[in-house]
Amino acid sequence: MNKFINLLKKEIKEMITFQIIISLLFTTGLFYFLGVIAKSEMEKVTTEKDVYIVDLDSSQESNVLISNLSHAGFNVNLLEEKDKSMAVEYANDNNIDLLIVIPEGFGEAASQFKFKDIEAYTYIRSFSISSSAGSALVEGVIREINRYISNNYLKEKLPDIDPEDLKNPIKSKDFVIVKNKMAAGSAAEVSSIVYSQSIFVPIILMMIILYSSQMVLSAIALEKQDKTLETLLTVPISRNYIVITKMAASGLVGLISAGVYMVGFRYYMSGLMGNIPSSGQASQLIQQLGLQFSPNDFVLLGISLFLAILCALGLAIILGVMVEDLKSAQTMILPLVFLIMIPYFISMFSDINSLSLPIKILIMLIPFSHPFIASQNIILGNYNIVFYGIIYMFVVFVILIFTAGRIFSTDRVLTVKLRFGRKRPTND
Amino acid sequence: MNDIILRVENLKKSYGRREALKGISFEVKKGEIFALIGPNGAGKTTTLRIVATLLSYTEGRVEMMGLDLKKNPQKIREAITYLPEEAGAYKNLTGIDYLKFMAGFYAKDKQEFDEYVERAVEIVGFKDRLKDKVGTYSKGMVRKLLLARALMTKPRLAILDEPTSGLDVINSLEIREIIRSFVQEGISVLLSSHNMLEIDFLSDRVAIIDKGKILEIGEPELLKQEYSAQNLEEVFRRLVQ
Repeated sequence: MNKFINLLKKEIKEMITFQIIISLLFTTGLFYFLGVIAKSEMEKVTTEKDVYIVDLDSSQESNVLISNLSHAGFNVNLLEEKDKSMAVEYANDNNIDLLIVIPEGFGEAASQFKFKDIEAYTYIRSFSISSSAGSALVEGVIREINRYISNNYLKEKLPDIDPEDLKNPIKSKDFVIVKNKMAAGSAAEVSSIVYSQSIFVPIILMMIILYSSQMVLSAIALEKQDKTLETLLTVPISRNYIVITKMAASGLVGLISAGVYMVGFRYYMSGLMGNIPSSGQASQLIQQLGLQFSPNDFVLLGISLFLAILCALGLAIILGVMVEDLKSAQTMILPLVFLIMIPYFISMFSDINSLSLPIKILIMLIPFSHPFIASQNIILGNYNIVFYGIIYMFVVFVILIFTAGRIFSTDRVLTVKLRFGRKRPTND
Repeated sequence: MNDIILRVENLKKSYGRREALKGISFEVKKGEIFALIGPNGAGKTTTLRIVATLLSYTEGRVEMMGLDLKKNPQKIREAITYLPEEAGAYKNLTGIDYLKFMAGFYAKDKQEFDEYVERAVEIVGFKDRLKDKVGTYSKGMVRKLLLARALMTKPRLAILDEPTSGLDVINSLEIREIIRSFVQEGISVLLSSHNMLEIDFLSDRVAIIDKGKILEIGEPELLKQEYSAQNLEEVFRRLVQ
């Protein structure tokens, strides 16, 4: 049997354990469950909200106002109570979230353009996402009432002028320019669509890198802890095979794990954010600006992601040489976590290109930064940065794999150790 | 001359400033059990690891079947097997998968592969548990599995570091018998132990080692006679004192 395949099969069998499968399924199930909860909470926020109104005025003005609220999309329910305190008590007993009280004399005052305050009572019964929508609802109701009253007044005084034109005499028509392409639309809309399409790239990347690196480190740590590495190093097989098969198996398992995690994570995110609407107009806007991935772009992004994973695995192998057992492997992953988290957070919340030159150089020296910024640069047509990143990562990977191979071909693989403040007895 | 499988000459090994081996020399003949005995920290494991191609050495020469160890580590690995002290096996593999995995590195063809696995199954003695994962085995079972792995290829030299360490009397006896039976088939064994009674029973020749130096080499019986001792422990005590 081919020695390489023999070794690779063993590595994969050792990594895909029953516990790993259970952990993957559990995490996916957990994400799915969280997604279902988030979705139901978000649906409560976005669905038509009930508004309960006590009309203590019962005037023509108040009736028209209530009818207008119904037309504006609110689900209006009129309470029969003729006393404010009774209405408040009734709302409290019947789990009503929003109660609007139209005061007595509202209509008469409105006819003289002297307005009385409308009272809004919002009941907080939990601090979930849906409960926070109460204040937005109040604002919506009041905004609609104000719009109705002011428009009516303006129509009465200036019947020939559209009240909306009077309130907003100047309107803007937005255009967005990306590189040399221009399209009608708002920058916020474009940013939102591009962000929603590329939000998963850094998350997937971070998960794959961390998962695969942890796999490599744990695999080496376990081999050292059980002294199986000593046996393996004395069998007639190239030491480079040992390095490469560990990386290949970890990469493969990391890829599968990240894929399974992402299915669950996608459920969670789609529940939380809702399915991002992609209207025909928005698609057209994105198309006009050329902000779409072509098949070649996907290949380029894939190469960038793949090289970042290889670099992480190479680094993890070298760090793995210094571990003695599983416990020290958990500590040894920290430098790698920092190197991944820095570009991850910067790419999520900032723009690496806008940083000062020294910081930008430092960030670019971290090989994992390149795939984080690749998708944005590909969309914006900055291909040179992507190509340089790929070349840089390839060079780093070659150096790392060469170093790992060198270490494995000497006795440093057994003698180099970081002790973290504790000493172990030496061998005979 | 041709009977010598392993020749170690003036072997020195330093870890930084600490000298683990201070120039040791010995030979292992074909079909011989040669034992290194001594207390913890004497240099036994370091010597075995060097011969097993795991560690480099600072000075001296190690020759296996006439091949220089430094120049031909890969060729030497084809002819040896190494059983580290208190080693484990891959816990998520079944016993039979582990044996097949290891046989895959040595067998030149399918016939040889099957022969190795079959021999290993005979050595381990618990055929009914070989389809269970290694993680479910007792310490004695793991040790037998590893010994089977070390002997199944009938290596020119089996290097066994404390082969019965931590095992009960029954398991220890079984392992000693297995080692003895394989030596009769022509393989050579280099082993280490600090259990001198075990060495007395098992080995053809011993080297008593302490603080990186060999104090004495010889057949156990002759050493006992020379030092007027009841056993090797007494020989060792007299040498150290």
